Amino acid sequence: MKALGIVNFSGNHIWVKGLEEYRPIGAFSFLGRYRVIDFPISNMSNSGIDRIQVYVRRKPRSLVEHLGTGRHYNINSKRGRLHILFSESKGDNDLYNTDIAAFSANLECIERSHNPYVVIAPSYMVYSADFNALLENHVQSEADITLLYHSVDNAKEAFLNCNTLNLNRQKGVLSLEQNRGNAKNRNIFMDTYIMKKDLFIELIKKAKNLSSMYTLTDIVNNACEELDVRGIPHRGYFASITDLESFYNANMDLIDFKRATSLFDTEWPVYTRTNDSCPTQYFETAEVKSSVVSNGCLIEGTLENSVIGRGCIIKKGAVVRNSVILPGVTIGPDVTIDCQVVDKNAKIIHAKEIISEPSNPGYIRREDTI
Amino acid sequence: MNQNNMLAMILAGGRGSRLHDLTNKVAKPAVSYGGKYRIVDFPLSNCANSGIDVVGVLTQYESVLLNSYVAAGRRWGLDAKDSGVYVLPPREKADANLDVYRGTADAISQNIDFIDTYSPEYILVLSGDHIYKMNYAKMLAEHKANNADATIAVIEVPFKEASRFGIMNTDEEGHIIEFEEKPANPKSNLASMGIYIFNWKPLRKLLVADMKNPDSNHDFGKDIIPQLLADHKILYAYKFKGYWKDVGTIDSLWEANMDLLDTNNELDLNDPTWKIYTEDATTLPHYIGPGASIKRAFVTQGCIIEGEVKNSVLFTGVEIGEGAKIIDSVLMPGVKVEAGAVVQRALVADGVKIGKEAVVGSADSEHIELVAKRVKGVE
Repeated sequence: MKALGIVNFSGNHIWVKGLEEYRPIGAFSFLGRYRVIDFPISNMSNSGIDRIQVYVRRKPRSLVEHLGTGRHYNINSKRGRLHILFSESKGDNDLYNTDIAAFSANLECIERSHNPYVVIAPSYMVYSADFNALLENHVQSEADITLLYHSVDNAKEAFLNCNTLNLNRQKGVLSLEQNRGNAKNRNIFMDTYIMKKDLFIELIKKAKNLSSMYTLTDIVNNACEELDVRGIPHRGYFASITDLESFYNANMDLIDFKRATSLFDTEWPVYTRTNDSCPTQYFETAEVKSSVVSNGCLIEGTLENSVIGRGCIIKKGAVVRNSVILPGVTIGPDVTIDCQVVDKNAKIIHAKEIISEPSNPGYIRREDTI
Repeated sequence: MNQNNMLAMILAGGRGSRLHDLTNKVAKPAVSYGGKYRIVDFPLSNCANSGIDVVGVLTQYESVLLNSYVAAGRRWGLDAKDSGVYVLPPREKADANLDVYRGTADAISQNIDFIDTYSPEYILVLSGDHIYKMNYAKMLAEHKANNADATIAVIEVPFKEASRFGIMNTDEEGHIIEFEEKPANPKSNLASMGIYIFNWKPLRKLLVADMKNPDSNHDFGKDIIPQLLADHKILYAYKFKGYWKDVGTIDSLWEANMDLLDTNNELDLNDPTWKIYTEDATTLPHYIGPGASIKRAFVTQGCIIEGEVKNSVLFTGVEIGEGAKIIDSVLMPGVKVEAGAVVQRALVADGVKIGKEAVVGSADSEHIELVAKRVKGVE
């Protein structure tokens, strides 16, 4: 019993300011050496799913470059396959650019799959889950659709772009609705679905007939009345990268090694594309505490509570605090930054002090020199 | 083979017995270096970066790990069509008994059939246990321009050390007129790097004859090069400038690692135009805890550092507990140093655990201490 893996893109109600101008959320650099999409694809690969479709809505360059043939995800190179599929929206209005539109445009690729089930996971959420166990559970329960959710107690201030599940006592899903931030305890929907492939195809066709703007979430919400839709709770680390704050917070959270072990497990590796960077070199003047540092960096300055991407240069006298530094960034001599997200290849040389509040981190543009 | 009609053969059969316990189970080319590499990554990456697509690796001593390691040619991008890394241990043949490789030249001789299947015009012979970055395509260009029969890469060494090497005496044009193995009174300081380019067809003839010669050591330095000189062939020295290290001992292996800590170190592993490729480890970036201190260090992914690290190189997955001190040391992959332990002027072998508050090595030792077994700590 096997499933086709589908990695879905974020809907048009989600926008991460700054970062998303350049690439889809799945291609965001995460915790120094990863991309967000490495998490769903590694979950699938580790669960024995070797036929994976990745859907791309916009700005494919960075994502396609990272995914390549998918070889680094440890999928069998002959039997398995990582297939990148594009939505073919005309672009007159982004509202039409839904996941349902993308699935319809590529319906024959889904129909051709020999796998009886589909596991659909988002490219913009970070968690680890054994899809094989979830699939077994789904089959045994005889439910039509299984949805994965995470119970949180901070839904008033976080997860605001996510959907929530309204459940009955038997974990039956009554409806899905957007989190409007009016209650702190919520079951956040992890945009992860398991169902039969035939039902998935049926839902796509139905949604398309009902409304050109319908998404998979919309049609599953509609289906709750007639179908047996159930929720399964997820435990362990969970982050939804749906705005700049959540991106920043997810990186910051994982600086704590104990917290990181709830996401990373040596038995459940997270694969990524290697860049063949050499190790990181620390110089005499380096002062480093509570940080996560990737390979290929040259560190002469001070790092505190920060995540440093591959190939960054931190010059003498520079101070980087509470920040997320994407790959290839240079922080010049005697520059102090605090609570910043610094996008790829930016150079901070002339501005000597850039300080924000943790609740509202700053963003430095990609390739920018300031 | 499409790219330059040159095939490379890497000699990787040696044990490196002066590395003691480090080479009990693996051959010297498979020894770890520089945080995330194995020594053999250097010649292999150099081949890939020089546009050589077929590489034979001649293995012999404890070759299990080395065979499986180099066979995955895609690590170095050597897996395109008509490209590959081929592991060549000694084998039994229909017309000959199973025989070990009797010398460097014999290792090539026993694989003449392999080389013939590619019918290369040139053959590049390399050592699998040297650390350096070199563009063999440039050396080949010079070999061709000189119309040479053989070209040997040389490096200038200090005169006082020259008697440890094979020394090439050349005329002003770089023409080799004499070769002396470890001369007591060296006339030149051009040391052979063990890197040779030969025209394949004439070398093949010479090797076939050498195989049958009972008085031969079947060695490039001792037999083949002197024979070429005696035959008045055209041999050129190709002068190499840059970092080159033959790590024969624990002290020199430690030193070669320490060289990486220098500002503007000569090997420059960070050069994006000449990357050294290696196995891709599926680990986290390195983690530095709240109580850590790191100064002058080379640290790779998968490390977890809670203590103090100074003047040291940490390989993949090394863990340093709270309050532990690592000074002037090289910690190989998977080494775990528990809380409060002190490691000084030591080279700790793969996977060794150093217990709580244990003390290893000392600041004023003459030699670097090799720690190859578990060190018990305070219970």
